[in-house]
Amino acid sequence: MYNKKGPGETLFSKKRKQCPFTAAGVKHIDYKDIETLSKFITERGKILPRRITGVTFQNQRTLCTAIKRARHMGLLPFVSEE
Amino acid sequence: MAKLETQHLYEGMYILSATLSDDARQKALDKITGGMTKRGGEVHKIFDQGRRKLAYEMEKRREGHYYLIYFSVPGASMPEMWRDYHLNEDLIRFMTLRTEKVPEKIEFPTVVV
Repeated sequence: MYNKKGPGETLFSKKRKQCPFTAAGVKHIDYKDIETLSKFITERGKILPRRITGVTFQNQRTLCTAIKRARHMGLLPFVSEE
Repeated sequence: MAKLETQHLYEGMYILSATLSDDARQKALDKITGGMTKRGGEVHKIFDQGRRKLAYEMEKRREGHYYLIYFSVPGASMPEMWRDYHLNEDLIRFMTLRTEKVPEKIEFPTVVV
């Protein structure tokens, strides 16, 4: 016996993460905001997949271009040195 | 009839060489802003973001002086300006983007992951 909480939700189904940008009410992801952008890259400098961060599809796209712009301006690394 | 040239608002980030003296850097900045006004544009705001360490080496430099300039120029003069920028040796890198408005100050909301 287990409680079924809603449609499609079973005992083992995970609660879907909310998008950090939607939660914070961010409308425009800026390439100058390195503090935020650096949360979405790995130590190596790779962009994290949205499967891990829970970012929405549309926000992931704008985040992606923002990170790439920051990389071009030398604000974020392409490859992080160790 | 003369071609109607619409002005657009742009946001440009410029990295100047950190090895320049204060006077030389000011001169290099004037050269950039002069290029905008010369083409019938207008400089709205300049944010001096100071010296920063570059995330990777660019043109054998490890540091740069960052400037953020909000300006409006006729769109057709943009390619000419880029050509000037590429010839400018004090300018390490630049990026110009279209924007909607000039911000009062540069700040961002905190995003919790």
